[in-house]
Amino acid sequence: MFDLEKEIRKWKKVLYKHEVFDDGVITDLELHLRKTYQTQREAGLPEEEAFRSAAAQVGEADKIAAEYDKNRLAALIRHAPLHPRRFLPALVWHYIKTALRIIRRRKAYTFINISGLAIGLCVCMLIVLWVADEWSFDRFHTNADRIFRVYRDESATQMFSTSALTPPPMAAALKQDFPDIIRSTRFGYWRRQLVTYRDKSFNETRYMHVDPDFFHMFSFPLLKGDPDTVFANPYSIVLTEKTAAKYFGEEDPIGKTLTVNNRFDVIITGIIRRDSLKSSLEFDLLSPFDILIKESLGEEVRDNWGFNSFGTYVLLEAAASLDNLNRHLKDYLNKKYSEEDTDALVLQPLTDIHLFSNLGHDLHNRGDIKYVWIFSALAVFVLLIACVNFVNLTTARSVRRAKEVGLRKVVGANRRQLIRQFFAESVLMSLLALIFALLLVECLLPLFNNLSGKELSSSWLKNPSFLLIFIGLALLTGLLSGIYPALFLSSFQPVRVLKGSMFSTRANPLFRKVLVIFQFSLSVFLITGTLIISRQLSYLRHTNLGFNREHIIYVSIHGKLHEQYNAIRERFLQHPDVLHVTASMALPTNIQSTPGTPMWEGKDPETVMEIKADFIDYDYIETFEISLVEGRSFSREFGSDPETAFIVNEEAVRRMGLESPVVGKKFGFWGIDGRIIGVMKDAHFQSLHHKIEPLVFKMFPDWLRRMYVKVRSGDMALTLASLEKTWDGMNTGYPFEVRFLDEDFENLYKQEARLENIFRVFAALAVFIACLGLFGLASFIAEQRTKEIGIRKVLGSSTAGIVGLLNRDFLKWILTAAFFAWPAAYLAMHFWLQKFAYRIPLEIWMFFLAASIGLAVGLITVSLQTLKAARTHPANSLKHE
Amino acid sequence: MVSKTLMAASTRPLILAILAGGKNYGYSIIQKVKDISGGHLEWTDGMLYPVLQRMEMENLITSNWKLSDGNRPRRYYTITDKGRDELASELISWRYIWQALKGLTDPLKAGD
Repeated sequence: MFDLEKEIRKWKKVLYKHEVFDDGVITDLELHLRKTYQTQREAGLPEEEAFRSAAAQVGEADKIAAEYDKNRLAALIRHAPLHPRRFLPALVWHYIKTALRIIRRRKAYTFINISGLAIGLCVCMLIVLWVADEWSFDRFHTNADRIFRVYRDESATQMFSTSALTPPPMAAALKQDFPDIIRSTRFGYWRRQLVTYRDKSFNETRYMHVDPDFFHMFSFPLLKGDPDTVFANPYSIVLTEKTAAKYFGEEDPIGKTLTVNNRFDVIITGIIRRDSLKSSLEFDLLSPFDILIKESLGEEVRDNWGFNSFGTYVLLEAAASLDNLNRHLKDYLNKKYSEEDTDALVLQPLTDIHLFSNLGHDLHNRGDIKYVWIFSALAVFVLLIACVNFVNLTTARSVRRAKEVGLRKVVGANRRQLIRQFFAESVLMSLLALIFALLLVECLLPLFNNLSGKELSSSWLKNPSFLLIFIGLALLTGLLSGIYPALFLSSFQPVRVLKGSMFSTRANPLFRKVLVIFQFSLSVFLITGTLIISRQLSYLRHTNLGFNREHIIYVSIHGKLHEQYNAIRERFLQHPDVLHVTASMALPTNIQSTPGTPMWEGKDPETVMEIKADFIDYDYIETFEISLVEGRSFSREFGSDPETAFIVNEEAVRRMGLESPVVGKKFGFWGIDGRIIGVMKDAHFQSLHHKIEPLVFKMFPDWLRRMYVKVRSGDMALTLASLEKTWDGMNTGYPFEVRFLDEDFENLYKQEARLENIFRVFAALAVFIACLGLFGLASFIAEQRTKEIGIRKVLGSSTAGIVGLLNRDFLKWILTAAFFAWPAAYLAMHFWLQKFAYRIPLEIWMFFLAASIGLAVGLITVSLQTLKAARTHPANSLKHE
Repeated sequence: MVSKTLMAASTRPLILAILAGGKNYGYSIIQKVKDISGGHLEWTDGMLYPVLQRMEMENLITSNWKLSDGNRPRRYYTITDKGRDELASELISWRYIWQALKGLTDPLKAGD
């Protein structure tokens, strides 16, 4: 018996298999079928035949579905939603509610996730602040993109490849010769200057001299004074706010007079605000450049093209072509000054100076783009590790969530809604983490400033763009760490999940393995880096330098102090705790090469040799305990020593090819002929970045600029106080400003020391976050295997056996991680060590040690969990469901 | 028989023309096409529905559900202003093509 309704139901069932047919379409088609059937019946066909014919008339479901599919595709392409909107705003609140519920229910899990993310975010935020600070240098000037520094490219000669120092006449000449250069200024100083106001005097090291154009080129705001007239009086001075406060406190400084070097007066015509502005131009006081020429250098320097001692900055016409100018500047010196001068002049953008400049003789402390990269990379590492934690923990918990997903799907949630829900969770977590991260940033800023040598403040709170970046960062973190869990969890098939057949043991083990290995690779990499950097630093610090720099203080003897040097020396030597007093021109850390090749006995006229030279006083060799391999030190017993005696180092002897005995051989430079009286052992006066170079000492009483005092080790403060008393008693007119020589040496490795600290902190953070994740993961795995553990115990396994069993996986993962980390760490560290002429060898044990540290920390973390699981009484664990 | 390609091209103006005479539902539209063409235009009925959906997406027609005989819901289609414009321009195009064809074939007949 033919049953029409039954046949139609069967027919419709086929339609339902096609997702594109919504209820409306099926209703349409059903109606069509019925109508056609009716017509066929009326035409006289029997029931069953009429139905077959009608069904054929409507057509094959596959073909019709294919047409609907095309429409759906077209709709997707044109963004015209065909179906009712899938994103239901009413659900948003539901997503958030569910996410909050999850957060509340699983406190430990949430804590691990949020603290990991918060630390990752905090590190990233600090780095963002730091990078923004580095990047902002010199960009506040209105004309920043049109201001350039002129530097000399000396690659044709050999001494330094570049130099930021240019001669005094250049600024004005460039402005005159090139119409594209509309303003120019010199920027420089000449030794430190003693500046006095009534009873206050300070040695100013950042007293700079500039041309009047300075105020029209740069945008330092003048709080008082008019940029057009501040330098109208040739003896005027402009102070920064801070400096003005130092001399005058609350008083109004304008119109007051300062005395410089006890010789001439300058009148204060302006106050400049510089403090909060990031500038590569460092100064506390500014005066017209002419003062420098009149008072310190002498008129003959004014047109001396060979006197390369100052910076030159130019402002270009808006439409000027930089390439064109650089082309003309290439042989400018050659044409303008001397045919022998082959140095090319090059324009360097002002905004490149702080991060991208590596010129010789640069005047200031510079940033380094390399550090920007290292910092940023480390920050990304830490954030990635935190994201991986999230992914790992969330997927590990998938067993718990699977049933939820199944039920949601059964009651009609589609995959997209589930994906949205999981994203809502991860984003909510990362936003919570953001709040903690902001608090953390506040707490850690001082520490970070210490680490990075910056003075960042929390003023970013007032800066909406930073806040936006941070929120963006948090959202990105949330999305990044949400992708995998969202896709993975939402893909569960309700039928299988609800049957409980899906997760017998461990889900997607490979993916999770990869994540853990990735985290630990980064951690082991950072630990290795920390280890090697600190080894190298300790090598740098403890290498026998060949002289003794301890307990030596020094005082600058500039200006009139120089004339009093001998008197001061005599007085200091009377002090019971003073062992030696001597002086030299350059600091031992900063001995420069002398121009030209020296001459020596038996020299081949073709030989070229660069030699470093310093001019010293008697007792220098003794003060620094430099050992002599041959001959003697400068001595008062030999009247000719100040004129014709030289002491060279072993390297110089080697390079000159002199044969023993060297003492007595002829030697000289700068047209001074003399003899070698002593050969000193090679000593590392420079940092260990550099190889020991030929060095010569000569006496030159007029050129001594620094006085060194070697004191007995003991109460340094007491000795200093009594030396100061002696100093003040002599009425030198200068304050007693001492520095410690070993600090100067320590400063040679400041960058490295900073890098070591950074690595240490980042490595600790990375390991900490990775361990958080590991801890969470271990607890979930232990939980999953509760029953297995119970059964094993019942069958006689020992606690140790079970801990071993559970730990074995982690052990394998961490070891694999080490294998990935080692080559990367080797390459990175090998590259870094190339900076040093003297370095530690990379040895295998360092890599093993780093991996062992990672392993130990990891295993301890895991064992905390596995031990707990293994100790549970089997009766309890077998009850577990 | 009319070729498949031509069928595809002509379906839309035919539907528009039918709907220009008043609102209608799927089954009835198809019957009308069949009646008018005297059986020369034949298609699988089910293929009409995706075309209607596509035309609705393009805002040429709109639809709404109504209950009809036997309390079954039925989807009625109405032509829109855009649909009328489209119909007018289709008519012109078809006329051009027809004239062109006629112009080419009449001399041939004369030459026989």
